[in-house]
Amino acid sequence: MNRKPSKKLIVFTVLAASLILASIFADWLCPYDPYEQDLSLSYNAPSLAHIMGTDTYGRDMFSRVIIGARASILSTLALVGVITVLGTIVGVICGYFGGKVDLVVMRISDFFLAFPGLVFALAVAALLGGGISNAVIALAVISWPKYSRVARSQTLSVKAQSFIQAAKLAGDNPGQIIIRHILPNIFGPILVTSMLDIGTMMMELAGLSFLGLGAQPPIAEWGSMMSNGRSMLQTYPWVVLSPGIAIFISVVIFNLLGDTVRDYLDPK
Amino acid sequence: MKGIKKSIAFVMAMALTLSVFTGCGAKNSDSESASTETNKSVDGKKTFTFGDTTFNAENEEANIDPHDTYCGWACIRYGIGETLFKFNDNMELEPWVAESYENVDELTWKVVLKDGVTFSNGKACDAAAVKACIEDLVAVHERAAGDLAIDSIEADGNTLTIKTQTPKPTLINYLCDPYGCIIDVESGNADGIVVGTGPFVCTELVTSDHLNLVKNENYWNGDVKIDEATVLTISDGDTLALALQNGDIDAAYGMAYANYPLFENDQYTFTGTPTSRAFYCQMNYNSPIIKDDAVRKALALGIDKEGFVNTLLNGYGYIGVGAFPDNFAFGGDVVKTESYDPEAAKSLLEEAGWVDSDGDGIREKDGKTLTIRWISYPSRQELPLLAESAQATLKDIGFDVQLNVTADHGTIVAEKDTWDVYAAAFVTCGIGDPMYFFTTHCLDDSSKNRGGYHNDNIQALAEEMNNTFDSAERGDIAVKMQQQILDDNAFIFCSFLRMSMIAKSNVTGLVAHPSDYYEFTADLDIQ
Repeated sequence: MNRKPSKKLIVFTVLAASLILASIFADWLCPYDPYEQDLSLSYNAPSLAHIMGTDTYGRDMFSRVIIGARASILSTLALVGVITVLGTIVGVICGYFGGKVDLVVMRISDFFLAFPGLVFALAVAALLGGGISNAVIALAVISWPKYSRVARSQTLSVKAQSFIQAAKLAGDNPGQIIIRHILPNIFGPILVTSMLDIGTMMMELAGLSFLGLGAQPPIAEWGSMMSNGRSMLQTYPWVVLSPGIAIFISVVIFNLLGDTVRDYLDPK
Repeated sequence: MKGIKKSIAFVMAMALTLSVFTGCGAKNSDSESASTETNKSVDGKKTFTFGDTTFNAENEEANIDPHDTYCGWACIRYGIGETLFKFNDNMELEPWVAESYENVDELTWKVVLKDGVTFSNGKACDAAAVKACIEDLVAVHERAAGDLAIDSIEADGNTLTIKTQTPKPTLINYLCDPYGCIIDVESGNADGIVVGTGPFVCTELVTSDHLNLVKNENYWNGDVKIDEATVLTISDGDTLALALQNGDIDAAYGMAYANYPLFENDQYTFTGTPTSRAFYCQMNYNSPIIKDDAVRKALALGIDKEGFVNTLLNGYGYIGVGAFPDNFAFGGDVVKTESYDPEAAKSLLEEAGWVDSDGDGIREKDGKTLTIRWISYPSRQELPLLAESAQATLKDIGFDVQLNVTADHGTIVAEKDTWDVYAAAFVTCGIGDPMYFFTTHCLDDSSKNRGGYHNDNIQALAEEMNNTFDSAERGDIAVKMQQQILDDNAFIFCSFLRMSMIAKSNVTGLVAHPSDYYEFTADLDIQ
C-alpha cells in the first residue's frame, strides 16, 4: 500500500484539486459579476475583455462558467459523497448482519437498479420540482444501490476472513468490528467506485439541468447554460460551447483521476 | 502500452458517439427529403410544408374546430375556414363570405351573404347553413356566447337577420374572430376535423403533431395553387430552424430571435407586420404584496422594456405603453405610464417602508420579504426572455423574483394565492375594436381577470362603451380605460409582437397580416 504515487496520479490530483478550489473560491476568480445584465453587451464575441464572450443578457460567459463550476462540481461532489456514505453504511450492515434485513434491503435496491437511471431520476426530479438540490436528491435516490452492492459484497468477503473471527473471539462488538476491521479493508474499492462515478454524476446532473429540472434561472449551472444557449449554436456558438467545454474538461479530469486511483490501489 | 491502448479506446469511443449522432441525422433527413421529393414529382403536384411552434394543445389549439376553445385560430390560419367578413391591413372590415351588413336598429343586424360560396364538400353556404353554424357556436363556445349575446337568428335565402339580447355595437367584429369561421355543422367535427369554405381541406389531424391539407377543388374564390400542404407542429425553436435550413419545411412561424441572422440572406424571405399581440404582466390582487400600490408601481418602473425589445427581441417588436399598439387611433402614446427608472422605483419602495434591513439586497417590510412569484410559459419564446430580464432589473431594485416558466402555467394561475405576477401574450385588439381586451381581462366577470382586479370606473366605462356605436367615441372611452388600468398598475404592457414568418425564397403569397389570423390563402404558391 505504501507505494510511491505515480506521476499521473499527482498530476490529476492537482488538476482535480484546482477545479474544486476554483469552484470554492469562484467569487474571487470571476472578472465580472456573473449575474449582472447589460443588454448593450449582448452576444459579444470572445475578446480580451470577455474571453468567452457574453450571452443574450450581456453577462460575461467566463464569469458564469466559473460560478457555474460551483453548482456543477460542488453539487456533484456532495451528491457522490452522500451516496457513498449512505450506500456504504447500508451495504455493510446488510453484509455483516445478513438475514431478513439483508433480504429486504437488497430487494429494494434491486427495485432501483431495475429502472433506467436517468429516466427514474427525471420522474423523481419532476415530482420534487426544479432546483439543483432537488436534482441532487433525485440522483441520490437512484444511485445509492450501486454502493451498497459493492460494500455488501466486499463486507461478505472480509467477514469470512480469520482476523474477523479473531476479533470476535477477542470480544469486540459488531460496531467495533465494522469500524476497526471491515471499513478500512473495503475502503479501496468504494473509493474507486465513487471516484469513477464523479464524471457520470456530473453528466447526469448537467443532463437534468439541461432538461430544466435542475438549476433554475438565473443560477449559472453548466447544464442549464447549455440548454439556454442551444438555440444559438449556429449564430453565437460561444454561449453553448463555453459551458460544454467546461463540462467536458471536468468530466475527463475526474474520470482520469478515478482511473489512476484505481491503478494505484489495485495494481493488478 | 496501456496508455496508448487507452487513448485509442478513447478516440474510438468518441468516433462511435459521433457516428451514432450523424447516423440519426442522415437517416431522418434522407427519409423525409425522399418523401417530399416523391410528393413533388408525382403528377407534378405542388406540396407545401409549414412549421409552426404554436399549433398544439398547450396553446388551446388541439384541433381545427373553431367551436372548440382557440382552435379557430388553426382553422383560419391554415385556410380551412373563413369568416363572414375579414380585416384589412388597417383592421377594418371587408366582405368575405358575406357581402354586406346593415345595422337595422340597436338590437338587429342584417347580413347579406355572397352568392356562390360553397363549402369544400360542395354544399352551398347559404343563410340556413350560417345560421346552423352560429347557433352551434353559441351553444358550445362560452366565450362566443358571451361576446355575441345572440337572441335569435333568421335565415332567408342569402339574408341573415341576427337579433341580440343587448346592444352589441361590435357584433360583426366579433363574428370575425377565428371562432366565427363558417363551417358546415352537418358534416360534424369527428376527430376535430371540420368542413369550411376555405381554400384547403383537412385530410388528417394529429394533435400537437401535424395537419395534412389538400386543395379545395370546389373553392369559390379562385383557383388554389398548392395541391397538398402539411403543417408540422415543431415546438422547439432550434428544431424549427434546422428544419427550415435542411428543407424539411418551406416556411416557419415562431422562429427564435437568436436564429434570425441565419435566414437574413437571399435564400429566404421574411414577411412581417406589427400586430396587437401584447406581452404583458398581470398583477394578482389576491396577493398581499401585490395589493401594495407602491409594489405594483415599482414593478412597472423596474422593467426595461426598451432593452427587452431592442436587444432581446433583436428589434422585432414594438415597445408597449398601453394595451394597444401605435397603429390604432386609441393605441400607442395616447396614454401615459411608467417607464424604466430603477432609481425612482427604489425611492418609492423606500418611502412605502420596503427597506433592506439585513443587507442581502432584498427589501423587507413587517418581516415579509419582497418576493415576487413570476409565472409565465415557454411556448411564446419572448416570455422566458422577458422573465429573466425582469428578474435581473428588479433584483437591482430589491425584488426577489422567483421564476416559474412552465407549460403548466394555467393550473398555477387558476389558484388565487400561488402567484404574484403572470406574464403572458394576448392579442388585445383581435377584432379591430378595443373592447375585446377589456371584456376578457379587466371586468369583474372577465374570464382572464385572473388577478381579481376591480375598479368601479372601469366597470362604468365598460357599460358606457357597450352602449356606444360610434367607433371614434369608443376609441375615446378605450383611452380612458387604458389610462385607468395603467394608473392602477394592474397591467404592465411590455411590448407588441412584430409577427414574422420566414419562408424559402421560392415561396410566394405567404403574407403576414396584422390580425395574425390569415396565413394560407389561395394565392400561396411555391415556384
